[in-house]
Amino acid sequence: MDLISLYPTWYEPTVGSGWVVAFIATFHVLASHTSVGAALLFAYLSHKAYREDREDLLDFIKKYGLFLLVFTYVAGSITGPGIWYSTTVASPNGIGALIHSFVWKWATEWVFFVIEVVGVYMIVYLVGKVDKRTHMKISVIFGVASLATMLIIVGILSFMMVPGKEAWFQQGGYLNGFYGENTFIQLAMRMAFMFTMTAVVGGIVVAGIKDPAFKKEMARKLGWLGIISTIIGAAMFQLYLKAVPDQALLVMENRLPSYFEPSIIAVLAGTLAYFILTMLRPQVLVQAFAGGMAVVILVAGLWPEETARESMRKPWVAGQYVYSNQVIGRDVPGMGIKSQIPLLEKEGILKAHPFTPKDLRTVNDGNVVQAGKFIAMVYCSNCHSPSKTGIRPLHRYIPDNITEARMEKYVKGVLTTGNIAYMPKMPMLDSEVKALSTFLVMNRKGGEKAVDAAIRQEIEARQQAKLAEKAKNKIAALTQENN
Amino acid sequence: MDASQVSQITDMMYALRNPAGLPSYPIIFIGLSVLTFALHILFVQLMLGTSVITLIGAFSQNTYWRRLGAAMLEVAKVSVSVAIVIGVAPLLFVQVVYDPHWYTSNVLSADWVIGFIIFLILGYWAMYYYYFVNNANQDKSATPKARWSMLLSLALMLLVGFIMHSLTSQILHPELWKSWYMQKNGMVDYTGDKLHEWNLWRYAFFISLSIPVAGGMLVTYRRFKSVRSDADHAYLNWAAEVGKKWIKVGSIISTVLYVGWMMTLPETAGNFATSFWGILGGVMVLFYALWAQIRLNGEAKFCSYMALPMALVIGLVVAISREMLRYDILNGFFHYNFWDYKIEFDWYSTGLFFLTFAIVGGIVLSYFLTIAWKAGQTVGVYTPSAFVNRLGTLSIWIVVLWVVQFFVVGFYVWAR
Ligand code: HEC
Ligand code: HEM
Repeated sequence: MDLISLYPTWYEPTVGSGWVVAFIATFHVLASHTSVGAALLFAYLSHKAYREDREDLLDFIKKYGLFLLVFTYVAGSITGPGIWYSTTVASPNGIGALIHSFVWKWATEWVFFVIEVVGVYMIVYLVGKVDKRTHMKISVIFGVASLATMLIIVGILSFMMVPGKEAWFQQGGYLNGFYGENTFIQLAMRMAFMFTMTAVVGGIVVAGIKDPAFKKEMARKLGWLGIISTIIGAAMFQLYLKAVPDQALLVMENRLPSYFEPSIIAVLAGTLAYFILTMLRPQVLVQAFAGGMAVVILVAGLWPEETARESMRKPWVAGQYVYSNQVIGRDVPGMGIKSQIPLLEKEGILKAHPFTPKDLRTVNDGNVVQAGKFIAMVYCSNCHSPSKTGIRPLHRYIPDNITEARMEKYVKGVLTTGNIAYMPKMPMLDSEVKALSTFLVMNRKGGEKAVDAAIRQEIEARQQAKLAEKAKNKIAALTQENN
Repeated sequence: MDASQVSQITDMMYALRNPAGLPSYPIIFIGLSVLTFALHILFVQLMLGTSVITLIGAFSQNTYWRRLGAAMLEVAKVSVSVAIVIGVAPLLFVQVVYDPHWYTSNVLSADWVIGFIIFLILGYWAMYYYYFVNNANQDKSATPKARWSMLLSLALMLLVGFIMHSLTSQILHPELWKSWYMQKNGMVDYTGDKLHEWNLWRYAFFISLSIPVAGGMLVTYRRFKSVRSDADHAYLNWAAEVGKKWIKVGSIISTVLYVGWMMTLPETAGNFATSFWGILGGVMVLFYALWAQIRLNGEAKFCSYMALPMALVIGLVVAISREMLRYDILNGFFHYNFWDYKIEFDWYSTGLFFLTFAIVGGIVLSYFLTIAWKAGQTVGVYTPSAFVNRLGTLSIWIVVLWVVQFFVVGFYVWAR
């Protein structure tokens, strides 16, 4: 009997594990890009302070640096591992695939993290305690190190969408997986948006400047930085759409909500308008306004971007070979990886899953519903929540007048064969098709309550049967003794 | 457990391994994971211990304690950041070789894994809140405000540590994983809302080391500040005396807890408690007390600086023992051997890491730490020597060069 690399399933009923990951990821991107942006801005200010011998700029760094750097930095540095943790529980094989291919790249990034952590405290604490030249050097190192962390992570992120070069599947190798068209376009896009964020976040800092002339100068500079980087970023986004796999585009076109495009355009327009406003009238830049705008612009821009990335990857979660539901759906000869589909076709999902409870390994009349729910949890729940709410709730995709027979036909004809581009191929034995269909229909008609009640009955019946069996054996044993 | 049950568990663990394999020899990852864990836990202990000192200061009327509390808050704040960033490294390496165990343990307690992140952010912010509320006040002997937030911070950090501890403990019980996936009533448990396993002796042991480590910090603090021309020697000497006491008493407490841990190991650990590594871990902790008794007398100009490095060395031995325990259980009893992980060697990324670590990390951090060290000892503005300045320029060139190589290699691969 063969097992495949499937872990237990974690299921969060209210929002779904997918949204938990997306939420933490958005928060992290917000915090980390802000902190990279702030790092570059402070490097600039520190450089200027050194060149022009300006005390006031350094005071300024001390005053706002602590707040901005440390807070965004703290949130960034915790939510970074936070993304690991959340993807670990939502998609262990997805993160596992990335970790095993890129462990050294992450370790390299870690070296820069350590430099950043030490650097951030030095920038803030050493104002006035070291000469300006030294402060400038520290700030520049910090800025470049921050940039390096982004360079590294983007390569890994783009592997999630698609390995750098097609050759990776045949030859393997880290370089083939890391670098490719998608990597560089995404990099250019992210760098542009990072400067946009620098400009937005810089607004909070500039709002604190007392000297009107200097405030105006900075508002101008940041305004231009923001406008140019936003336009470049938007152009890169168009290019990026050309560089993703065709099937991702298909999913995008068909599946993204209709408000997606207009809302992206609205965010872009709003951002540009904001920069123009602050350039023309720097006095509107007060901290609360700048801070509020920073959050609005960043969230409004990031959330759609993160969700689009999540949708576009479907049905894969990493490297176009690990399905969202954790099954490996493709051979990767270059890494000696075998598709798990043939085994699943032969044995079914219940036998191949290492964590299938003993009573559910084969479907029978006494466990259909529980086995069906188990299959749905394993195969579907990463993309469809079996509850009323959460990500793409299952019940919504099933007509309310469905019959068992039609459901079975659909599951067997469409899902086990992998006939829909955005869903994985999900092989099942006939008995498993029946179990899943029973569950889906019951879940559609009676909801989770009905399903759980039915499962409780099944369990009770099984326990009764076991007790009866035991009693029978005992009697048999006794009669044997007596004979 | 009979042999066939064990072999089923062995099969399950092997099945869960990532089929992509590893880009280098597994022992390298184990080594790095032990080393970085030792650093992680040292800073965790430093953070917890200095937080406790901050709290003692906050609730004491004694002006020396008040001053010490304020000074140690600075250490605590930086230590959390360092503990977190260093924690990333063992987190990376443990899931490379022990992925079946780490992922199962995490998924089965998923809500707590998510909670970990939230509690940590809140704990950190609570510490900063306390800092911001009190920082503006120049008078370090005044009664601090918002003491509750510092208490909250410590409590949350202890909770975070407990979650870490539990996740680590669950790794050691593959025989129970499947039962944890079931509720008592026979339903499958998809919620991940429980922590399933812990050992309070072990947890208390790792936490209790905060006492001697904080003691080491105080001894170092006196030595470091005493060279400043504005040093208050009476206060500093007092702090060092507290530190010595904490090292000695703390190490003894920790040793007792260590023995408790060894006596409560699961059966699957065999006779680890009386093995070489089982004994050495405890002996080393006790040795810290002895070392402090013998070496930390009078000025102790050199040894005062050795107090924290000593703690690190001892922590490293404990970290090795801890890893040996894992190996003895998982390999010794359950026959999961990390040595036979499939390898898909990748020279480029292996080399790039070690070069970056040694050259970029080495040079830049030497520069940073030199500056931080000197600036801390200087009254007024510190102006580095020509040599240190050159080190700074070199550091800038090195990081820039790294970025350049990223693109050069990238474009080459892309165009190939
Ligand atoms: C890789 C993620 C993924 C997995 C796994 C997955 N689906 Fe889907 N499924 C989707 C997406 C994306 C859609 C389209 C959503 C939309 O239209 O909003 C979809 C649509 C559907 C539909 C509507 C089909 C149609 O013709 O439009 C049904 C029914 C369905 N899924 C059932 C299932 C079942 C049952 C499972 C588990 C056996 C499953 N899916 C697993 C991603 C997935
Ligand atoms: C700041 C609060 C933290 C505290 C108090 C803390 C505490 C601990 C403790 C007590 C252990 C030892 C558990 C045991 O062996 O019994 C541990 C291990 C560990 N911690 Fe932390 N930790 C903290 C933050 C972090 C963070 C943020 C990370 C990740 C980025 C992290 C990663 C790890 C890892 C990987 C291990 C070892 C796991 C293993 O080897 O199995 N820790 N931590």
